[in-house]
Amino acid sequence: MEALLRELQPGPDGFTEYLDTHISASVVDIGSAAEQNIQLLGRGIAARHASISASSSGLQLSCRGRNRLRLNGRWVQRAALKPGDLLELGGHRLRILPPPPGFALAVELRSNQEIAASDFESAFRTDLSQTWLGKRTLAWIGMALALALGLALPLLSVTLQRAEQPVPAWLPSDRFWTSGPLHSAHQQSIGDRCDTCHERLFQRVRDEACMDCHRDTHDHILPANLQLSSLGEPPRCATCHREHNEPATFLVNRADGLCVDCHGENRNFGTLMRDPVRGFGGERHPPFKAHLLKSLAQPAGTGFDFLWQVQKVALDEAREDSNLKFSHVQHLDGERVLRRGDSQALVCADCHRLQPDGEHFQPITMERNCVGCHELTFDPAAPDRQLPHGKPREVVQMLQDYYAGKFMVAAEEGTVIQGQRLRRRLPGRQGEQADCDESPFLCAQRTAGQEIESQFTRRGCISCHEVRQDASAGLADRYQVVPIRFTTDYYPASAFAHRSHQIQGNLTGDAACLSCHAADRSQDSADLLIPAMQQCTGCHSDRSGDQSIKLQCVSCHGYHPRHGGRDETERTAGSESTGS
Amino acid sequence: MIHRNVLLYARGRYLWWALILVTACTVLYFTQGDSQPPNGGTWQGYVLGTLGALLIVWLVALGVRKRRYASTLGTVQGWTSAHVYLGSALLVIGTLHSGLQLGWNLHTLAYALMCVVIISGFFGLYTYLTYPQLMSSNRYGGARSELFAELFELDRTARTTASRCAAEVGIAVDSSIERSTLGGSIFAQLFGRDYSLFIRGDGKPVRNLDQQPCIDFVAQRLPRAARTAEAAHLQQLIVLLCRRQAVLRRIRRDIRLSGWLKIWLYVHVPLSLALLVALTAHILSTFFYW
Repeated sequence: MEALLRELQPGPDGFTEYLDTHISASVVDIGSAAEQNIQLLGRGIAARHASISASSSGLQLSCRGRNRLRLNGRWVQRAALKPGDLLELGGHRLRILPPPPGFALAVELRSNQEIAASDFESAFRTDLSQTWLGKRTLAWIGMALALALGLALPLLSVTLQRAEQPVPAWLPSDRFWTSGPLHSAHQQSIGDRCDTCHERLFQRVRDEACMDCHRDTHDHILPANLQLSSLGEPPRCATCHREHNEPATFLVNRADGLCVDCHGENRNFGTLMRDPVRGFGGERHPPFKAHLLKSLAQPAGTGFDFLWQVQKVALDEAREDSNLKFSHVQHLDGERVLRRGDSQALVCADCHRLQPDGEHFQPITMERNCVGCHELTFDPAAPDRQLPHGKPREVVQMLQDYYAGKFMVAAEEGTVIQGQRLRRRLPGRQGEQADCDESPFLCAQRTAGQEIESQFTRRGCISCHEVRQDASAGLADRYQVVPIRFTTDYYPASAFAHRSHQIQGNLTGDAACLSCHAADRSQDSADLLIPAMQQCTGCHSDRSGDQSIKLQCVSCHGYHPRHGGRDETERTAGSESTGS
Repeated sequence: MIHRNVLLYARGRYLWWALILVTACTVLYFTQGDSQPPNGGTWQGYVLGTLGALLIVWLVALGVRKRRYASTLGTVQGWTSAHVYLGSALLVIGTLHSGLQLGWNLHTLAYALMCVVIISGFFGLYTYLTYPQLMSSNRYGGARSELFAELFELDRTARTTASRCAAEVGIAVDSSIERSTLGGSIFAQLFGRDYSLFIRGDGKPVRNLDQQPCIDFVAQRLPRAARTAEAAHLQQLIVLLCRRQAVLRRIRRDIRLSGWLKIWLYVHVPLSLALLVALTAHILSTFFYW
């Protein structure tokens, strides 16, 4: 719209002067700011105070915000204007005049000449508090945002989720509360469902939530054993397993302190006597005790019942009781025993094969480890015939059958069996001096008897086994071979990584094995070749150092029992019977 | 001077408090074993967190204490000195509590808010130490209202003098006075922007940056002055306009300095309160999902 502004000013000579200004704008605005069409300075005048607009219905005055001005002596915020109206603001007087042709508005301004300097200053916004900035407003906004984002919206998301209601994707979820990433295994199976573990607000994660998935994990102490002690409630899963850690590899708290808290003294163990442990090295750890099998023979029927019991024995007084006759020295001596195939001296790994767990060795058996060299042949004339191993009664029966058959065939063919050699009678000649002139059956019986006695008492079974003889018994039950059983786990309560110890500094191969197991000095299978704690503490300690590699309690001892919580004695002991 | 008092209050008593606190917290932090990473979840983390939370509440309480004029609980100066030093210590304690395990979560939000609040506080401290002197020398030790009074007087004299000159000079000077801007928006206040205008002979408003175009316009009239008297008026007018230019510069600089002296509080105070809420949410959420 086009507007005409006529300013009346006192001239230098006392006469009033007119100053006309042509304003071309959509609305004519009034205020103290410099860019206003009509700039008025003074107390109570806002930077943008009011505006006058023209429409088909006439002129309209509207004040901005809470601003007001006086129209014909009345305070107004908005009003219709007509020529002759008088507007007053800060002592300035604006009179609406009938607009000349071509103008929509004509205003006569008589400025207030008595403005004080202080009013003048207020025409400008010279302080940040006069802008839209406000500490109070910003604080409210900040607090509301923090409350919404931090508490209200995630809580809403949790409520919806637990009520099985759809949760909008934009809604900040309880993931916003996470204090760190989940372990990747948990992340994969649980994802972002916090309530899988955090079942209720303000409730600590219960062990049952863990056991929902980890069903096969057994508690440290059998409930029956726990009752024998005064240890109280076992610790929560989360005592040792800390989730949301960074890096997530810290899922297990391996601090020795967690173990030593209970095991540091024997106070609360009651009848479950435990040696106090305060660490590893020096006097902080009790000496190792080997779990050894001890065999006991009891007569039963025509034979014996051999019972094995596991006994915890101090190493310096421990003897192996496997019932095997064996010399490590002899077998490792390259002058006396050579390997089949390449004729090299035997090495430890020829017999002792590490299992995939890197910790235990495959059990030593006759079939796997001995029979390659020690065949059970008995008749040089029949090198393919071998005695059945481990079945003494069948050995007796087989030898009787074998020689019966052999003598019957020889009688039919007219050959003479001498000693252990079968000679063919030359045609046309009378038989040579035969060893047995009796009937083939009796000869077979006698030869079988001699062979059976030889096998059990001189050169067969007796080479490796202990054989008990009962002269009064029949031939089938006369010889009782004492069964053999090896200890498979000398320290069942601890783990030892054989694989990572196959190289120790400069030692490799047999040298590495022999540095701990003195097999090269063992003549007798009763020698215990298991090292004592000093062997470990030479390199390891519970404290890091230049000369020691740190070991924590859980480096060797698992907290959760590996074998379903069954007692080690129950697991390894057993019985075996001979005779009938 | 106040700024000396804030840092050197009681010979830096609270500096020593803060140093002892930071040292103790650092030692505590390093007692966290290698079996678990240091963070807010260990017992040391809980201790550091509790200490940090108490510190935050106390630091925010300065806003209450400084409004309690009747309070005799220490002096505001002492409180402010402790606020500065213990607030700085909080940056270390909060960081130790976090174990620098950061992520897109509420806990890091609270930590980030704390850092922004403290860093804005550092900026505020810097401005409190340097700007009052700059402002004082800018105003020759006087008040801003004195500069405005001087400007007002110059405006009036310039208007009167201009009315005795040719009409276009009168319009130019009047319009340059009416359309001189000072301050204004946040940006204009902080960066001293000048959006002044004046109306040159042809009736269109043009930019009047630093009043120089108007001065130049009046100066150009000088050789063409119709009468000797007008030439004298024009010369007087130029002197007045130049004095006006100088006063405007001072006021603008004063507005700019006082803007920077205060702007940090618009970050520091609202975010402190937002931090208080975020801290509450942080603590609550920790125990929601214990």
